[in-house]
Amino acid sequence: MKNKNHQVKIKYFLLVLLSCIIVSYFSNAVAQDWNAIVKTAQDQKIYFNAWGGSQAVNDYIKWASQEVQKKYRIRVIHVKASDISDVVSRILVEKAARKHSNGSVDLMWINGENFKSMQKHKLLYGPFSHKLPNYRFVDTENKKTLLYDFSVPVDNMESPWGMAQLVFLYDTDKLLKPPESMIELLALSKKKSGRVTYPAIPGFHGTTFIKQALYELIKDPEVLQQEIVQSEFQNITKPLWDFLDELHPYLWRKGKVFPTSASQMQNLLNDSEIFISLSFNPNSASNAIENGELPDSVRTYVHTAGSIGNAHFLGIPFNSSAKEGAMVFANFLLSPQAQARKADSKIWGDPTVLGIQKLTSKDKTLFDKIPKGIATLTTEELGQVLPEPHVSWVKALEKEWLKRYSK
Amino acid sequence: MVNLLREGKSCFFPLFIICTFCLTIMAGFIGTLLPSLNYLPVMGYTSFSLSPWFDFFSWPGIQKSIFVTLFSGVTSSFCVAGFAFLFIAFTHGSFLWKFFEKILSPVLSIPHAAFAVGFGFLITPSGWIIRMISPSLTGFVNPPDWIILNDPAGITLTMALVIKEFPFLIMVAMGALGQLDIEKTLLAGKALGYKKEQIWLKVLIPGLYPHLRLSIFAVIAYSFSVVDMAILLGPSSPPTLGVQILKWFNDPDMSFKLIAAAGSLSLFFMVILTIIFVYCLEKTLPFFLRAWITNTKRQSFISNFKWLIFLTGFFIIAVTIISSVVLVIWSFSWQWRFPSFLPGAWTFQFWAKGLAGCFDSVTTTLITGIAAALMGLLLIIGCLEHDVESHKNKTRNYNKIMQFFLYLPLLIPQITFMAGIQLFLVIMNMDGVWITLVWSHMLFVLPYIFIALGATYSAFDQRMTDQAILLRRSYTLSLFKVKLPMLLKPILFAFAIGFSVSVAQYIPTMLVGAGRFSTITTQVVNIASGSDRRILAVYALIQQGLPMMIYAFAIIFPKILYFNRKGMQV
Repeated sequence: MKNKNHQVKIKYFLLVLLSCIIVSYFSNAVAQDWNAIVKTAQDQKIYFNAWGGSQAVNDYIKWASQEVQKKYRIRVIHVKASDISDVVSRILVEKAARKHSNGSVDLMWINGENFKSMQKHKLLYGPFSHKLPNYRFVDTENKKTLLYDFSVPVDNMESPWGMAQLVFLYDTDKLLKPPESMIELLALSKKKSGRVTYPAIPGFHGTTFIKQALYELIKDPEVLQQEIVQSEFQNITKPLWDFLDELHPYLWRKGKVFPTSASQMQNLLNDSEIFISLSFNPNSASNAIENGELPDSVRTYVHTAGSIGNAHFLGIPFNSSAKEGAMVFANFLLSPQAQARKADSKIWGDPTVLGIQKLTSKDKTLFDKIPKGIATLTTEELGQVLPEPHVSWVKALEKEWLKRYSK
Repeated sequence: MVNLLREGKSCFFPLFIICTFCLTIMAGFIGTLLPSLNYLPVMGYTSFSLSPWFDFFSWPGIQKSIFVTLFSGVTSSFCVAGFAFLFIAFTHGSFLWKFFEKILSPVLSIPHAAFAVGFGFLITPSGWIIRMISPSLTGFVNPPDWIILNDPAGITLTMALVIKEFPFLIMVAMGALGQLDIEKTLLAGKALGYKKEQIWLKVLIPGLYPHLRLSIFAVIAYSFSVVDMAILLGPSSPPTLGVQILKWFNDPDMSFKLIAAAGSLSLFFMVILTIIFVYCLEKTLPFFLRAWITNTKRQSFISNFKWLIFLTGFFIIAVTIISSVVLVIWSFSWQWRFPSFLPGAWTFQFWAKGLAGCFDSVTTTLITGIAAALMGLLLIIGCLEHDVESHKNKTRNYNKIMQFFLYLPLLIPQITFMAGIQLFLVIMNMDGVWITLVWSHMLFVLPYIFIALGATYSAFDQRMTDQAILLRRSYTLSLFKVKLPMLLKPILFAFAIGFSVSVAQYIPTMLVGAGRFSTITTQVVNIASGSDRRILAVYALIQQGLPMMIYAFAIIFPKILYFNRKGMQV
């Protein structure tokens, strides 16, 4: 009797197993098919968690949401975050609580350290970006930062959204000729004492400024691409600390106070407290002039040695219950129409990830029609894009900076 | 609910608060304590050790952080309390006092962050004061490079805290003064030849202090753990401990959460130690002051500074109001550069954008705030009735224990405490639910309602209700027809305070609401992370307008309701 019971159990188990295999096979097969994804995505509600600090960006997301509502019947809710790492924490907490479905986030705007953190804790769904039809237009050949997010391989775990490159903003009313290198910046700050600064460390923009200085000051920038060797760190970075030691007494507030972010620096530039600001968006000066945040005397420049560039992406958390909707929205945001609108400095001015050479002639005209912003540099003027140093440098540089200057 | 009161089961209210607060705080506390001991299984930390504490104490600049936090926290709390007592002593009954009574509620309804933005713009070297006299008087074409804002010693932050907390203490004092027999004491004192301020300082203030004690503790806890004001006005490298904890907590590298937990507990201990210190001071001070109180001198040295105290009181209100005016100007400006006193170009565009975009978040804010304040009122009035009942029947009074738990949420740094709660809510699948959001707000709303209402409610002349019960033999009727209507004004005020506390909550809304609920405050914080000061000003003004509306309601409604009853107008 007992034996029979056992057999029934085994049969039952096999049946379940078989049906599982069949279901997963079919669902896999279905997932391959983009049309099916679009169909499943219908009437889905997706919570898109993205930084909400810029009215221009918020307006753009609102426009995109309305478009996918019309085209695909997907409802996008923009959950505004002041710092996306809050959202990463929340997903981590959900994982800790074994919430494997119905997560609070369906799509999120990430890159760099947050991407690394999500990968490390296996919080991302994917790979998926290669399944998006518009991914074929993405310029992965020329834009290496789309494959390596702060030197971490992307592996299709996030879908490209926009490009970034460190640029400097200066007020032509206050400064005739902008510096072309860190050394010239030092000379300028000696001449115009108290009018130059950079954002506080640790912080995205401040750390980038340090990395840029490191690139320009050390003999062999190649080492930055490799994982950091602790014993070499002091030796390699010595020129940077010498430079900063010399620079700090001439900085804004004599280096005793640092602006909290690039956003605050932009306001300081408008107030003429400082003469040089920085941004990761090459069009941000044009956009800020367009909406009155900066005077039209502001222009953009880069250092001749090139400047650090990276990209930003969209990721889908592992526990999203609207992955299809999220993919359709991510695909829409990659479309030439959406990317061209985003690149317009009147709208947002975020550079496209698409390769113009890959587009149809009709789509090309979308990009040709974008007026060049008053303070926007041409691709040639923007010069060489330096890749982000290996991600291990970030924490080491931040820690050393804090040790030296945060006392 | 009323049945509970009528049947003598009023202990339900304090017991309910004790149980729920205890559970929630335990969840939050465990969620902070374990990570600080290197235990956070989700990230692979499963072996207990003290390494987060070592990391915390060896963090670069941490000594300075701790020092600045102590300095700004202790100095501002002492200045606020000391000045509040002097102010009451010197101005009570004067024109300035009457002016304060009118102006206090709108001033109180200004959120800390909005005040900090306005205040910062007022005093910074490129700010409004310097613009006012530039370049005509100063010759500044570019703003001077002076350290005013974010000064490493935290003096600006301390000043701002004093300005912002002072009206709060005065408001609590106004409620509590009803319990002192001011007129008779003054009369007796004057008959003996003492000056008015001497009577206040020697007799009335010592009697007032016990009513303000808890509010002063709340001010201490707030000044230590304040984040929004400290980011805008406090030192940057290193920042105050509260800001540093937030930075660790938000670091993309999740392992920093362990240090954040250790930091939160340190901050918590700092607050507790300071409160114990103040408590000891309170106990020993009478011993030292006895000689001064009984020295029989009819002259007081401090009377010479009367004008200074008047001026400072006026200055505090003026600065607060001007800080709001600055926001109004920014909200209408298009381009406003140094050294122009007013914007070079104006626009309505940002108001149009802001008003069009804020409807949903305003609705969420209103519904959540009103729900939290109403529930809070219900619970607190229940507790206060329990107090009355247990006094009358000489039964057990649970309010003492209840108060202990009630104030804990104010003493613990919000960020990690709420993070601990978040984990438990997610496990129970109750995150992102409106009702838990309201509950999380109530954790902070309840203590403030209690502070605002407790003293006045307890001072109610119980003979009124006794008389009513004698006439109608109905507890319910005596409560609803006599007691609550007579207390309508303070109750509505407590409601308004509860509402404005709910409006100000950012961290609970983010963590418990799972990002599903966007309130006006989350909008303000998001926009503040960008650079657009004009749209920020619009949102900050809307944020400020909501509590102001409720305060206005609390003032006007009793006036309309009791227009024909002179005695109720007071």
